[in-house]
Amino acid sequence: MLPLRELQLRLSTALSAGPTGTGAVADAVDPALLALVNDRGGLGPAQRLDIYADMYRTRLVDVLREDFPRVLAILGDEEFRALACQYLARHPSTHPSVRYVGRRFAEFVAGAAALPPFLADLARLEWARVEVFDAPDAEPLRLSDLESLPASDWPALRLRPIPACLLVECAWPVHEIWAAAEDPAPGRAGAGRPEASTIRVWREGWSVSHAAMGDLERRVFPLLEQGEPFARLCAAGEAGLEPAAAAREVGSLLMRWLEDGLLARLPA
Amino acid sequence: MAIAVPFLGHGVGLRPKHFPQLWDGTARVDWFEAISENYMVAGGRPRAALERARSMAPLVLHGVSLSIGSTDPLDEAYLRALGDLVARMEPAWVSDHLCWSGVGGHYAHDLLPLPYTEEALAHVVRRVVAVQERLGRQIIIENVSSYLTYTHSTLAEWEFLGAVAERADCGLLLDVNNVYVSATNHGFSADAYLAGLPPDRVGQIHLAGHTDMGTYLFDTHDAPVIEPVWDLYRQALRRFGRVSTLVEWDDHIPELDVVCAEAERARAVEAEVLEGANAAPA
Repeated sequence: MLPLRELQLRLSTALSAGPTGTGAVADAVDPALLALVNDRGGLGPAQRLDIYADMYRTRLVDVLREDFPRVLAILGDEEFRALACQYLARHPSTHPSVRYVGRRFAEFVAGAAALPPFLADLARLEWARVEVFDAPDAEPLRLSDLESLPASDWPALRLRPIPACLLVECAWPVHEIWAAAEDPAPGRAGAGRPEASTIRVWREGWSVSHAAMGDLERRVFPLLEQGEPFARLCAAGEAGLEPAAAAREVGSLLMRWLEDGLLARLPA
Repeated sequence: MAIAVPFLGHGVGLRPKHFPQLWDGTARVDWFEAISENYMVAGGRPRAALERARSMAPLVLHGVSLSIGSTDPLDEAYLRALGDLVARMEPAWVSDHLCWSGVGGHYAHDLLPLPYTEEALAHVVRRVVAVQERLGRQIIIENVSSYLTYTHSTLAEWEFLGAVAERADCGLLLDVNNVYVSATNHGFSADAYLAGLPPDRVGQIHLAGHTDMGTYLFDTHDAPVIEPVWDLYRQALRRFGRVSTLVEWDDHIPELDVVCAEAERARAVEAEVLEGANAAPA
C-alpha cells in the first residue's frame, strides 16, 4: 500500500505524462499504481486510469481553445491539440482556476518550431483579451466630466487609463491577422509582412476590443500611463508640428480615448 | 449535530449563456448556484453578474478547486480569494467536492477520487476543519462520480463521506446522479449508499444527466436527468426529507426555460414524495 501522498504523486504523473490521450496511460503506466486500481467489470485498471488521462487533456485543451480561438482557427483542430498537449506537458497548470491555464501559452508558442512566425504575437493578443475581460472595474471618464474644467486647469490635468487596458507590442500587424483569422479562407490568414505594431486592448462595459495605435498615440500613451500632466502629452505630440497643431492632434486623440471609455474618472 | 442550512427550494446554476434571459426577470428562480472559481476575479462581467444574480435570489457558492483531499498544503491564496468572495457575496452556504484536484503544485482541474482509508479520512477531516475555521462557517462536501476505486480502500464511499461529515462537523451535498454513475461503474448498491449516509448532514442535492459510454457511465452534465436517477432522487427524499435541490448543466447547456423545467420537475417530484401529490410530469 502506498501512502496517500505517494499515490497522488504517481497518479498525477501518470495522468499528465502522455502526449495525446486515449492509450497514453496504458502504455506508460506505473506498475505500483496499476496494482492499486481495482479490476472490476468491463474495464481494467489501465483503462480506468486512461479515462482520467483523457479527461485531463480534453478539459485543458478545451480551455485553451476558448482562450486562443484565432490561433486555433489558423492551426486547425488537430495541430492546435498537438501544440496544446505539448504546452500542457511543459507548463502544467499551477493555479487553482482554469482561467490561468493559458498564461504561458504565447511564450511557449514563441519557442516552438515550425509554426507561422506571427503566431506568438497573435497568442499574446488573445491572452491580453483574456486578461482584460476580468480586469478590475473603473468608472470611465466622459466628455461631460471635462466640459466644466477651466482652461487654466488643463495643462496640469493628469488623466489615467482604466485598469482594463493593456498594450501588446508586436513584430507583426497582428490586429489584421486576428481579423483575417476570424474567417480563415485559404491564403488570407498569415498574409502580410512583419511590421512593428502596438495594439491597445481594452474593455468598455463588458466588451473587449483592440485597436492598433498610430504613431502619435504610441508616443503619448506611455506618458498617460506614467501619470504625466496634459501639457507633457501635448509636448510629446509636437514632433514636427506647431504647438497649436500638436494640441489639436492630442485633443483628437483625447476625444477618441473618451469615446472608447479608455480613461478612468478623475478622483473626486 | 447537523448541518445548519436553510431550505431554498429548487435552484438553477448561474451560467453566462442565461444572463440575458435572467436579467429580463421573466424566469422563476428559487436560488442560484455559482461556480466559485469563475468569480474569483478582479472585475468585469463575471463579478457584476454575480452581484446582480445575488440581488435577485439567494446565492450558493460551489467550488471545484478546494482540493480537500490533496496532500499539498491548503492553497493560502485560494482560501483568501474564497474568503473574500464569501464575505462579499454572503452565500447561503459554500460547497466543494470530496476529492483531490492536484498535487506537487500542479492542478489537474479534475475531481480525482481518494482511497477510502483511515489515513485519507484523518487527512480530509483535518483539512475540512481547517477550511471551516478559516471561513468561519460550515462547508458542504459533495460525493463525486468516479471511474476507478482503489484496492486498499477499507471503507465504503458512503462510510467515508459520513465519517468526514461527523468528525469534521460539516454538511454533505448528495449528488444523486454521481451515486448512480459510481454505483454502475463500480458495482455497488446505490440503495446502500443512501441508507449509509447520516440524514441530518445532507444540506443539498444535485441531479444531472450523464452519458452511457458502453463500458461505463460518464458524468457529463450535458443531458436531461434519466428516469432511474429520478427514482433514486425519490428514495433520497424519503430518507433525507426536504432538501434544496439543483439540476446541473455544464455542457451543451440548453435554454433557460429547459433548465427551469428540470428544476420544476424536481419540485414536483418532491411534492409527490413528501406531500403525496400527483405524479410529477415526465
